[in-house]
Amino acid sequence: MAFVAIDHPAESATLRSLEDVDNAPASISEATSRTGSQGKGDLAIDIRGVSYAYEGEADQVLRNVSLTVKDGEFVLILGPSGCGKSTLLQLFNGTIPHTLKGQLAGDVSVCSKPIASTKVASFATEVGMVFQDPEAQIINTRVRDEVCFGLENLCRPAGEILDRHKEALAFVGLDGFGDRSIFDLSGGQKQRVSIAAVLAARPRLLVLDEPTANLDPAGMAEIFAVLERLNREAGTTIVMVEHRVDELADRVSRVVMMDRGSIVFDGAPREAFSQRRAAHSEEDGTVPTSAWFPQACEFALGLCDARATPLAAAVMPLNVAQAVAFADPWVGPATGKPFLTLVPMQQEDEAAFLRVNQLSFGYEKKLPILSDITFSLGRGEIVALCGRNGSGKTTLARLLMHINAPPRGSIWLEGKDIAELSAREISAEIGYVFQNPDHQFVTDRVWDEIAYGLQVRNYSDKAIEDRVGEVLDIVDLKRYRDRSPFSLSLGERRRLSVATMLVLEPHLLVLDEPTIGQDHERAQQLMGLMARLRERYRTTILMITHDVRLVAEWADRALVISSGKLLFDGKPEAMFADQMLIEEAGLLTPPVYEISRALAAAHPGGPVRPTLSLTDLVDAIARSGGHAA
Amino acid sequence: MNRSTAFQFRAGNSFFHHLDPLTKFAWLVAISLLAFGAYIAWVQILITVAVLFTAFVLARLAFLVVLRGTWLFGVACLSFLVIQTLTLPGTHVAFTIFGHPIYAESADYALASALRIYTIILSSLVFVRTTDPRELAIALVTQMRVPYRIAYAFFIALRIVPTIEEEIKTIRAAQAVRGVVRQRGIAGRIGETKRYAMPLLVGSLRKASMMVMSMEARAFGAYPQRTFVEAPRMTAAGVAVCTLMLMLVIAWYGALMLGYVHSFYVFAPA
Repeated sequence: MAFVAIDHPAESATLRSLEDVDNAPASISEATSRTGSQGKGDLAIDIRGVSYAYEGEADQVLRNVSLTVKDGEFVLILGPSGCGKSTLLQLFNGTIPHTLKGQLAGDVSVCSKPIASTKVASFATEVGMVFQDPEAQIINTRVRDEVCFGLENLCRPAGEILDRHKEALAFVGLDGFGDRSIFDLSGGQKQRVSIAAVLAARPRLLVLDEPTANLDPAGMAEIFAVLERLNREAGTTIVMVEHRVDELADRVSRVVMMDRGSIVFDGAPREAFSQRRAAHSEEDGTVPTSAWFPQACEFALGLCDARATPLAAAVMPLNVAQAVAFADPWVGPATGKPFLTLVPMQQEDEAAFLRVNQLSFGYEKKLPILSDITFSLGRGEIVALCGRNGSGKTTLARLLMHINAPPRGSIWLEGKDIAELSAREISAEIGYVFQNPDHQFVTDRVWDEIAYGLQVRNYSDKAIEDRVGEVLDIVDLKRYRDRSPFSLSLGERRRLSVATMLVLEPHLLVLDEPTIGQDHERAQQLMGLMARLRERYRTTILMITHDVRLVAEWADRALVISSGKLLFDGKPEAMFADQMLIEEAGLLTPPVYEISRALAAAHPGGPVRPTLSLTDLVDAIARSGGHAA
Repeated sequence: MNRSTAFQFRAGNSFFHHLDPLTKFAWLVAISLLAFGAYIAWVQILITVAVLFTAFVLARLAFLVVLRGTWLFGVACLSFLVIQTLTLPGTHVAFTIFGHPIYAESADYALASALRIYTIILSSLVFVRTTDPRELAIALVTQMRVPYRIAYAFFIALRIVPTIEEEIKTIRAAQAVRGVVRQRGIAGRIGETKRYAMPLLVGSLRKASMMVMSMEARAFGAYPQRTFVEAPRMTAAGVAVCTLMLMLVIAWYGALMLGYVHSFYVFAPA
């Protein structure tokens, strides 16, 4: 098939408000000089006294918000789920009020254009928007088509579009990917394509709403590296909502914290993380803002608390290297009692109730997804299943549930071959909490939702009444018993989803990416619930996760899968100690581990050993009697 | 990681992949016209063989892909063939089964009917598997003068089908974990659909709204026209295919009108 370019110059178009199309800079890097010509102090965003409620809703999502962002800034917006962060971002290209209607009060100017009188399309060359889910925002099926899409809509000449698409792909490190199918890319690559697709228009302001939420740590690192380069080298102004602060704290120039629709803090990162404040969750519970603090900051705050020493914001460490430098003078001689010793993992557990034996699986013989996987699970363990996106983690979990049929003789549950058990027999023993809780709801009422699993197993009415009441208490949803599951907040829907599994008292509960789309505090709450389950019922928890802090804080054991093969089965400490394994599996090491490892190396024979526990690390240093510089 | 659906575009390097979308669409329409215009088994056999040749040689589809995409319809066609062969009246007894006469006319008609359905499904598979929906949409705009907003709506509908299929599979798996057993019968299927509908609707609306925001943010719809950096164009091979198909359709319907071949089989009363 032959292809021909079909140009429709903008001059022939009738929409006059798009006159800026011809004023775009000549390259992505030229944004620096353009920023320079506009003056470093020019405002990219100017919001004054903005309040907003979605159409048909009485409650305001934004309340009297004022915010100015200068050209060249890198702003991180933090806050509990439901505080209005994403809504705020939708003002920045006029999606509110033009696409999403509602009651908007106050003045908003973006790139010196008032949003009330400027169409969304008119911001296309000035504001680039990148959302959480690359699957939902990518329109085309081929990389080149996606990157060219915006400029084609702007009626740029074909030659210029192709040049700019190459430049944008090169900038995000995807040079030569133009002909690739979107379906063949990893999550990180897809998100980089989304960024390239807006960069092609050379925007002055890039707005990102949790762009790494669905990515593994390796994908996340790719995105953050691109953003840093874009901000530093091209001078692009970046405003981003993101929960992964450990990797961002030292890259951003400013932090804005939101709570219940208002801005409660706006300042430099060191100031932001030097003081604990309180915010409120969607369910109106109080959430400490430290839930979003980088671990390096938590460590410094903990150390100063332990020594009752005030901490000046100016010396607050924002990354591992700074934390090590900060803590180094505090480390004294060994106290004679190391606080942590690495315990080798018992590979064979006699009490194992689930055994996976030489499991191989693939939809097509030539393309195995899992190869020769062998491990066992004992009662009451919390096990993390880690690996890159597409490594086979979810497939393994689905085989355990018989969602995909496992080969005979490869998975044994209480001595019975899972391949020969019915779906109901398996679901009585193993619960599976899907990533999206909405997928699992089958009734119109919270109470019915929890009762459903018991009803289909013919429990008596009395037993159902008792068990559902007990489980509603455990997950703290009793007050919503008559509500529709879909009317609950995301955190509540997650808990309901867990409750529907919990009511059957399964021996194993599989959690598929429990932290995706949730802030750290909410993930902690969920894991707290899991820990209570383990205590009460000796339930084994298998969590599929990329969140290394979650693994470090909660997992007794980690399994690492890479390209369908089980690379590691052991203690999380041992996993994080193996740098080659971490790289192979696309994981990152939690900051606390890196800090403790660096301090241990700097003070051989001293009180510090590599650890995953922040409390243990702080205690060891505090007890050692060193003196702060 | 899930198995991809057979009725989904996959990039390739075959002769058919290199044809422009409108030529392939013309081929599909011509095959359908020929299939619907022929009620005689030998003609349908010829058409089926030609489409199979196209699938395996010209489009280089794998046997398993064809099997996965058409087996269900194949089974339905086979059932159709058996039922019609056993039940339709005729005049010439070809053979008997357990004393039941099988008429040559009914067997001929049943085979033609079954192959017609299979051929149309198979040719649709060839078309969908080798045609990028986006290129089809662009061809509609640049060659057929369809407004690009409408063409893109069509493209996005096609683009989103596999996503919805995946979503339904996930919802089905999630609900199976809850102990929901797949229902049989019409009432059961209606109940099942109701259970899927809410989560599917919530998920689809969220995705659709995200897609709209992503498109608007990149100036989609801002101008009455837009640039296409790569618009497919009909090549000499495309012209040849279109001409051949047009000639075949004209020849067949001309032959029918002039009475050189039978038009439609009419069952003779017993």
